[in-house]
Amino acid sequence: MRTYLLKRLLQIIPTVLGITFVVFVMMRSIPGDPVVALLGDAYTEENAIKARHDYGLDKPILVQYVIWLGKLVQGDWGTSILSGRPVLKDVMVRLPVTLELIFLSMAVALAIAIPAAIIGALRQNTWADYTATSVAMVGVSIPEFFLGVLLLLAFSIGLGGMLPSSGWVYLPGTCQTVVCAASLWGNTQHVLMPALALGVGRAALLTRLLRASMLEVIRTEYVTTARAKGLSERPVILKHALKNALIPTVTVMGLQVGFLIGGAIVVETLFAMPGLGTFGIDAIIARDYQQVQGFALITAFAFVVINLIVDLTYTFLDPRIRYT
Amino acid sequence: MRSMRLLLGLLLGTGVLLGAAGAAPTEAQTPKRGGTLRVSYGNEIANLDFHTAPGYEMMWVAMNVGCGLVNITPDGKFVGDAAESWQVSPDGLLYTFKLKKNVLFHDGMKVDAAAVKFSIDRLMDPATGSGMRTFYESVNSVEAVDPLTVQIRLKHPYAFMLHMLAGYRTGLIIYSPTATQKFSLDDRKQGKPGAVVGCGPFKLIEWVKGSHLVMDRFEKYFEPGLPYLDRVIIRVIKDPVTEMAAFKNGEVDFIASFSPEHVDTMKAQSPRAQIMTGKETTPMLAAMKVTIPKDGKPMSKDRAPHPIFSDIRVRKAVGCYGIDRKEIVKIAFKGQATPWVGIIPPGTMDTVDVNHLCPYDQAKAKALLAEVGYGPQKPLTFELMTNTEKTVFNVIATVIKEQMARIGVTANIRLVDKVTWMAAANQDGPWDMYVEDLLSLLTLDSNAFLSTTGASWNHTRHLDTKVDDYYARYAREMDPIKRKAIAKEFQEFSADKLYWNAISGSPFYMVAQPWVKGYVYNAEFEVHWDKVWLDK
Repeated sequence: MRTYLLKRLLQIIPTVLGITFVVFVMMRSIPGDPVVALLGDAYTEENAIKARHDYGLDKPILVQYVIWLGKLVQGDWGTSILSGRPVLKDVMVRLPVTLELIFLSMAVALAIAIPAAIIGALRQNTWADYTATSVAMVGVSIPEFFLGVLLLLAFSIGLGGMLPSSGWVYLPGTCQTVVCAASLWGNTQHVLMPALALGVGRAALLTRLLRASMLEVIRTEYVTTARAKGLSERPVILKHALKNALIPTVTVMGLQVGFLIGGAIVVETLFAMPGLGTFGIDAIIARDYQQVQGFALITAFAFVVINLIVDLTYTFLDPRIRYT
Repeated sequence: MRSMRLLLGLLLGTGVLLGAAGAAPTEAQTPKRGGTLRVSYGNEIANLDFHTAPGYEMMWVAMNVGCGLVNITPDGKFVGDAAESWQVSPDGLLYTFKLKKNVLFHDGMKVDAAAVKFSIDRLMDPATGSGMRTFYESVNSVEAVDPLTVQIRLKHPYAFMLHMLAGYRTGLIIYSPTATQKFSLDDRKQGKPGAVVGCGPFKLIEWVKGSHLVMDRFEKYFEPGLPYLDRVIIRVIKDPVTEMAAFKNGEVDFIASFSPEHVDTMKAQSPRAQIMTGKETTPMLAAMKVTIPKDGKPMSKDRAPHPIFSDIRVRKAVGCYGIDRKEIVKIAFKGQATPWVGIIPPGTMDTVDVNHLCPYDQAKAKALLAEVGYGPQKPLTFELMTNTEKTVFNVIATVIKEQMARIGVTANIRLVDKVTWMAAANQDGPWDMYVEDLLSLLTLDSNAFLSTTGASWNHTRHLDTKVDDYYARYAREMDPIKRKAIAKEFQEFSADKLYWNAISGSPFYMVAQPWVKGYVYNAEFEVHWDKVWLDK
């Protein structure tokens, strides 16, 4: 297990570096120039040449990448070309917001998917199953931004401002800025709609997947044996069937983190949240190369680490699985 | 019965009291001190170096954190900011400013003549890379005569010196020499504590990009009793639907720039909202490229005619007679803009209506195209570039495409993001026509840096030095009547040549909650929250 873990941890390094290199090259290959965004109406050829030199943008791409990498190993993630702000500092301010959003979206997805899938599997081809399957189908079909707007109209405008439409209140103890609102209740109010907007689509997908797995598992011999032993239905389903049926679902959950990061860009923009999603999209739009690199680095790292955790979860769900 | 009368009497008495309270305008209008103004921006602040950062979002912060010499009122009068008084020599070559005695920077240092000299010298220094530099071209030298007297000596008369100091971009923002030398450019850009030091009514507390910018009242501000507000918090809400929801919910007090296409929805959703607008001072353009680099190298001095639009007849057929400006305004702006041909929009000083020079006339457009050789056998096709910054650009581009089809011309729309558009336009990239609204113009003179032959923002890359002559004559003419005549002649010339093809004015809106009092609307030029107070 230890050897396996070490091997996987070491694999993270080339994977993340590979992603950052691809992003580095791609960003410089698309049209647009960060210097144009930086200078705005102060743009002149002379100013542009000077700015490119100051930010090292006149060097060959590979040299630029090596310089970036050299600084990275020293803990320097670079400085935003546009704002002059240290990228690492901004990432750290925004990371808790996006992590919370992703975590809660997944929680929303599971809270909907697990009961819906169990009901659907146990009462296959009944109205309950059809309802769960239909709702899942609708959920998969609604994009995050559309559901977000519907939630906004319903809870921020329609119900007399029941929930705040935008902004963020931090969880106590997670705020890193001088002026900061932090409270558990405020945080709950602010995260509810974004988490629902992001989570419902995932819930629908997981429901369909888990229902199919459950249908397979409840027909296996060990489940019949458990019932024959006289166990009541609840432990049979929750302890024996669900645990095994969750394995493919957990795999997909890990992969869904990538979609959640992508969805966070849309949801954070819609709800004006100060998270990594808006950080990334602002950087891409402004061609702020350093900031894009920071975004790519942290999201790639988060993705591979979460998938490693997912792989390790298999041993908990099915003790027969052993890593060597 | 007696108790009924007593109840009636009590009700009447209460009614009289309530009525009296409601009918006490003087009491209700007395500004209240305190509170936080929650402002919403539609775009992110680029950075906080006020002398170099682009974008109105930064400028509106600069106008409240910084102070200058003079400000301009909505009716075009100049009022002193840090300057108590000023004099212009009879030959128009020497401006003498007397500073107020009690003006302090936020770090406690005095605002004196040396600070003014330092700031102007810094703006004029090519190494600073300020977009304002071009406007100081007429300045010969700046001298600190004594701690409270500063003189600006010009090389030649410049009729718009005060306009420029007050309202071109941020106007002059006086920098603290001590703080500027102590901190680096990156410190200032990121708003590091202590690095952004102004002399305005609010001091910068914190800027967290993507989250908020906070400014608190500067207790030693030179205007007694001002500002009324304790704090201003700026948040960025990019989505207009969310912005309107936040406004309706009371989460936002002031929307600094509101998109015209959502004004009707805002009125329906929040009937008590104060929707502020004024003269249209921003031009909406359908610019046509006139020259291209002969050697294929962008920005090359060696120019060749643009294959389509270098021919004045094609420019006129497409940009003048082929575009129905009224229809564009009706569709894209829901009628809330003015169709306009002139080089400066309808709200800019010395503007002239030259719409009669470009009437919508499909037959004339077709005839001109036929004269050049375009027709069914050789149809004209060009690329129409537009960007994603504002939806109105894309609507206009779509209407133009439809109007072009009516005269047998194919306009292929190329939708790009803002930075790609800026790169193509500023760096002499390949494009034929673009739709954009560029900058707000206080005077015709302020358009010079966008359209003289040598200007880097001369996107169409025309080479007609007559344009430069017009700008120079206009800026140097001190007699307002003669200046007006030059402006008229220039606008007629411009409508004839179409180096700068306007479609309409571009309206600007701000929205405030009913409890926001004391704000004086002056478009994008002057955004000051020092006299704002909250009636709640």
